[in-house]
Amino acid sequence: MAIKGGGFSRKSGAGSEIPTASLADIAFLLLIFFMVTTVFRKEKKRTIEWVEANATEKIDEKRKNILHIWIERDGTVYINDVVTPFDQISEVVRPLYADNRELVVAVRGDRDVPYSQINTITEELQEAGAVRVTFATRLEQRATRARR
Amino acid sequence: MAIMRRKQKVSDEIPTASLADIAFLLLIFFLTTTVFNEEKGLPIVLPEQSEEQDVSPKNLIFFIVQPDGRVIVRRGESEQEQTVSYNQIEGILRAELAQNPNLIAAIQTDPRAAYRHMVNVLDEVKLAGAERISLQELEN
Repeated sequence: MAIKGGGFSRKSGAGSEIPTASLADIAFLLLIFFMVTTVFRKEKKRTIEWVEANATEKIDEKRKNILHIWIERDGTVYINDVVTPFDQISEVVRPLYADNRELVVAVRGDRDVPYSQINTITEELQEAGAVRVTFATRLEQRATRARR
Repeated sequence: MAIMRRKQKVSDEIPTASLADIAFLLLIFFLTTTVFNEEKGLPIVLPEQSEEQDVSPKNLIFFIVQPDGRVIVRRGESEQEQTVSYNQIEGILRAELAQNPNLIAAIQTDPRAAYRHMVNVLDEVKLAGAERISLQELEN
């Protein structure tokens, strides 16, 4: 016969194992990719005492669509790490809202701030046209609710 | 010498077979431990600035927040006022909403009252399932 052994004995040149030598490279590449692309909010943390509420909802909005307004206990207002006087809030927010129509303003006020300041802020936001507002709260436990 | 000729059995290469496992473990560790702080709060949509509506008094219920945190309930058409505790608000509003689904819960807060009192009332109003909420500053 022309073919020895019916052609079955020919050795295959390809290896039957999956090459794992580059697996480590792939994994590290992924690791480095995620490390580089993860963006944390650059804003500084302010020390405020949070208000608590049972009806606290998760705000399902993209990070870039959320603007934080911090009101510290002494009445200092911070927008993007800049101290902003009350009467200039609308001027600061207006261009931000013009850039991004889906803007949601999260009011992060200290629990002991007088309401007049919160009211001024909501009025300023109305003036700027940014009408979607959230009062940032922490979820309250039922037990503390019964006590208050 | 016999000792010098003894073959070394330890390999001189760094074992790289487990490197992939280490890298994936690190990857998974960072993936699971990274916490993005969620945005949480009580959402509300403010009225447009020019938007002013006439509301019939019978569609209104006022929650008046005093500087010391006391809450007074007043139904729109009546002059009768009633001091309530926070836990009662939800029940009262639920009952009123069942009678009149168009009811607007108006939270009038004294400018001197602490923010937390207003949020407490807003919280209860939200829990009662009110859709139409109005925030006002109490005028003297």
